[in-house]
Amino acid sequence: MWLELALIWIVFLGVAILGNNRLGTMIQLFTLQSLVLSATPLLVHPGKHAVVMALGTVVLKVFLMPNLLFWAIRHVSIRREVQPLIGYGKTLMLGGFLMGVAFLISSRMDLPVKETSNLLVPCAFSVVMIGFLLLVSRFKAITQVIGYLVMENGIFLFALLLLDKTPLLVEMGILLDIFVGVLVMGIVVNHINQEFGSASTINLTNLRD
Amino acid sequence: MNFFLSGLSILCLGAFLLLFTARSPRSQGSRRISEGIFLSSLISGCLLGSVAALGVLIHRVPIDYRLNLRMPAGEFYLGVDPLSAFFLLTITILFLFAGVYGCGYLKDDKEKNLSVHYAFYHLALISLMLVVTAKNAVLFLMAWEMMALSSYFLITFYDEKEAVRKAGYLYLIVTHTGTFCLWIMFLLMVRQSGSLNFDQMALASFPLPLAGVLFILGIIGFGVKAGFIPLHIWLPHAHPVAPSHVSAVLSGVFIKTGIYGLMRVLLIVKDFPEWCAVTLLLIGMISGVGGVLYALGQHEIKKLLAYHSIENIGIITLGLGIGLWGQIAHHELAAWIGYAGALLHVFNHAIFKGLLFLSAGSLIRATHTGEIDHLGGLLKKLPWTGHLFLVGSLAICGLPFLNGFVSEWLVYRALFEGLFHFKLNGIVWSSLAVISLALIGGLAAACFAKAFGAIFLGNSRCVDITRVKENSALMYVPMAVLGGICLWIGLFPAVMVSFALRASATMTSSTISSMTEGMIIAPLGTVVLGLLVAVEIMAILILFKRISTKFLPVERAQTWGCGYSMPTNRMQYTAASFAQPLLDIFRNVLGYRVKGSKPKGYFPGEGKVSSHVTEAAEDLVFRPAFELIKSLSAKLKIIQYGYTQLYLFYIFTFLLILLIWKMV
Amino acid sequence: MGIAVLAHIIVVMVLSPLLLGIIGKTKAFLVGRWGPPLLQPYYDIGKLFRKGNVYSTTTTWIFQAAPVVFMATVLASSVLLPLGGLKAPLQFWGDIILFAYLYGLARFFMTIAALDTGSSFEGMGASREAAFSCLAEVVLFLDFIILALLSKSLVLSRMIEGNILSSWQLFGPALLLTGASYFLVLLAENARIPVDDPATHLELTMIHEVMALDHSGWDLAYILYGSAIKLFVLGALFVNILIPFHGLSPTMQTMIFWGGMIVLAVGLGIVESCMARVRLNRVPQLLISAFVFALVGLLVVLIKGV
Repeated sequence: MWLELALIWIVFLGVAILGNNRLGTMIQLFTLQSLVLSATPLLVHPGKHAVVMALGTVVLKVFLMPNLLFWAIRHVSIRREVQPLIGYGKTLMLGGFLMGVAFLISSRMDLPVKETSNLLVPCAFSVVMIGFLLLVSRFKAITQVIGYLVMENGIFLFALLLLDKTPLLVEMGILLDIFVGVLVMGIVVNHINQEFGSASTINLTNLRD
Repeated sequence: MNFFLSGLSILCLGAFLLLFTARSPRSQGSRRISEGIFLSSLISGCLLGSVAALGVLIHRVPIDYRLNLRMPAGEFYLGVDPLSAFFLLTITILFLFAGVYGCGYLKDDKEKNLSVHYAFYHLALISLMLVVTAKNAVLFLMAWEMMALSSYFLITFYDEKEAVRKAGYLYLIVTHTGTFCLWIMFLLMVRQSGSLNFDQMALASFPLPLAGVLFILGIIGFGVKAGFIPLHIWLPHAHPVAPSHVSAVLSGVFIKTGIYGLMRVLLIVKDFPEWCAVTLLLIGMISGVGGVLYALGQHEIKKLLAYHSIENIGIITLGLGIGLWGQIAHHELAAWIGYAGALLHVFNHAIFKGLLFLSAGSLIRATHTGEIDHLGGLLKKLPWTGHLFLVGSLAICGLPFLNGFVSEWLVYRALFEGLFHFKLNGIVWSSLAVISLALIGGLAAACFAKAFGAIFLGNSRCVDITRVKENSALMYVPMAVLGGICLWIGLFPAVMVSFALRASATMTSSTISSMTEGMIIAPLGTVVLGLLVAVEIMAILILFKRISTKFLPVERAQTWGCGYSMPTNRMQYTAASFAQPLLDIFRNVLGYRVKGSKPKGYFPGEGKVSSHVTEAAEDLVFRPAFELIKSLSAKLKIIQYGYTQLYLFYIFTFLLILLIWKMV
Repeated sequence: MGIAVLAHIIVVMVLSPLLLGIIGKTKAFLVGRWGPPLLQPYYDIGKLFRKGNVYSTTTTWIFQAAPVVFMATVLASSVLLPLGGLKAPLQFWGDIILFAYLYGLARFFMTIAALDTGSSFEGMGASREAAFSCLAEVVLFLDFIILALLSKSLVLSRMIEGNILSSWQLFGPALLLTGASYFLVLLAENARIPVDDPATHLELTMIHEVMALDHSGWDLAYILYGSAIKLFVLGALFVNILIPFHGLSPTMQTMIFWGGMIVLAVGLGIVESCMARVRLNRVPQLLISAFVFALVGLLVVLIKGV
């Protein structure tokens, strides 16, 4: 029951991120989502392995990354996504639709491992879909980073299935990868901003021949 | 059967006599005579027809009539089972009141030959009565064709106008495309069952793939008539241009023949694959939500009402869909209530949409315009029309106290039945249907708040209404009766619901005990109890307020302009701006556009703004398709030279080819 | 039964303005003021009952009928809802549909009454109300679907108190999402922040308030009273959805229910103190998120199997 509540909270926060246009709020919501996420390993397989993972998540996703992102938006001084590629209402409806698809797929999916809760896979799928939607529908680089991170949260949920099977090192490797990715993106955002005077990725289209 | 046949023959006789009086249309005397013949034959024919229908519904004994004419294709076989009887009742009631109204409505058309119009009205009624009672495929199709032609002449009453001729032409083309599908469908049925009579067809068993093909053909053939989106394109053109009493019967009963035909097919074939039920539900959702959204974007009252017909067809189809699903899943209750909800909505829609079209006609007669945004403040000038329009609006929005609520309640009930008892697939679709029904309800309420508010409340925006007067009693009395029926069903639903349940029992071919019937009707009785509580509270509140006015001052003043001292009538909120927020939410679906130029500068000149929605089905699908057909047929002109000999030669060669083909 | 109905209505009528009082008090406390007395809404309504009416010359009887219809339908809808220990006097299969459609009736009359004045401001409010309530109604029905699926019933009382305790254990997440989406509907339907601000009197940003701009005296009193009742009834439904009552003794039920109502009022006050009214074109988005929440709730119910 607690695991399911946590899962639903993660999806809930994902939807909230999707419907928001203030970057600051989005980052805060993401922080909250990661915090809930960090509790999930403990709820699935309590043990040393889980504790390490939870701690790793807290350090990276609750402290480091949000601060990095805050630093980035302070630097480029943008506050909100003004004109997204797809409107907010429509993104939300699309998100609802994609979540329906996610639930449908996962109800048909045959998993080799036994799942702790039958909500785990659909929720993981949904969060991945939400992240993906954010990546596709927004222009601002920061929003895209957030989308990327949300997607990673979904993948993290998938990994919970295999928690006792994968070695710790792989997990940590993935987390570190993401961290470096975000760091690089932060720098890129800064440079886009310096180069074009705004942090919209649409400017990157100017770079083609 | 005697009642029914005598009603039919009286109508035939009336039509015949009317054609005799058609020789000198402009003399006052002959107008009187034709009116007399029309009214007397209409009233007696309709009453006899409805008595026959009521007899079948009350006694639950179907009646048959076979005439041993050796017709070229099958026999002259009429039968009234409860399903037919229910439609027959709907048809006769609406035709009766619309016809009486029509007499008043056409009074001012001095130039027209009314006798011919009346005769076609009778012909349409006869063909409709035959359509719903024919028990033979060929007879059915003949009546169907007769109905299409007679309604064509009813629609093109004002044929001097370009738009009317175009709409009539479109109607003719579209309806024949549908009939083409129906021919194929019936031929397939006949091949499978070896009989032209419906009762023997029903005994044959149809394999599932064939049932699917028949279903698709039926959906196209009958859907064109019923106005399923995207087959609805003729409907918003034809309804507004016809005289209002004709629009009323067009929308009230003509399009329901599509529903009747579909139900007949469902009754004959019985076993369908599950996707058929899904298709019906999907069509219901699309037509329902789409119809009301398009209606919201309209600026002309009759066009708005025409789109609302599509919406209500959608609600009916939702009922049919859940009924069919129940039939497939062998869940009797869902099937039974679903079909009953659909049937009752057929009846209710005929009544309240008839009422609305008649009020719209009365409005147009009085003000000479149907532009919603030009009108306003007419409730004081046209009290009968206005209040009856309000009754119709409340009914069509499915609000409690009126009949729309009862049938929508039944459809909801059936959908929830599906939600509780079907498998996962069924649950998902029923929940989607419930949600769309809720959306339809909300949007319809917004749309009619817009229409009623803009036309009858506030002040007139453009039209000078000081000289507007209420029309003759011949017009508002039939409307009042229809309004009375709306209220009666809303407050005492038991009778009509039990009729609908009996008619739908034919569909599920089950015998339903009166106990189950009572079980379904009982909650509706409690609904009335709840409404009674509301009425009592209203009475008390009104009483208190009345008493208070004895002690407290009551004043009259101008509407507060929020500080602006010189408000004019043009500053009122228009219907177009009322609908704007909703249309804006759905702008991508609708292709909603606002055009215009805003006033600029310190001393602004004129500005203007207009909004419209685009018909996706018409602009994107049918227009290109028709263009293609046109260009293709233009190429066929090569073989046309105009010599009779050449055509005879063509026929001869064709015969020769056929002969050779037969020999080989 | 008549007595039960009467008792129900009297309880609702007596206690509903108190909810507004608590909200006001909470808001005042949170900004460090003492605030108006708890009974202020009663005084407000009472004051209006002592005033005469001014009617615009444009209006017809609809303008005067709307407040009566509004208050009566809203009050009648409370009869379908259990209030703690008080059972719902009227229960029947499918009463949720009547419940929802009674609000539809009230809304329809309020909308056309606003159009009746011929004032452009009121037309604006009516238009917004019609638009937003359409979306709210859809969400409401989605919530009803979830509750119906969980309880296998179409009776409002049974849907919210039936076996909801066991539902909580099995379908906790789904109920949480339902509660969240219903809460947003509650805010939208009752014109609370962040959808509408009941305290402002700036015509261009208001929805409900602007529709009652021309009403005065007894009519306005009925409308204010009716709004208080609407908040109370929809709030009671919210409390009923979230708190499992089944199997408790009537006194316990009563205590928990009224405690829940007070917590709800305080909660509303807190929400209103720390949120700003969203821009008007963002309101549909808020309701769409409510829709998505309920949708996920439905998906959870379906995947857990019913």
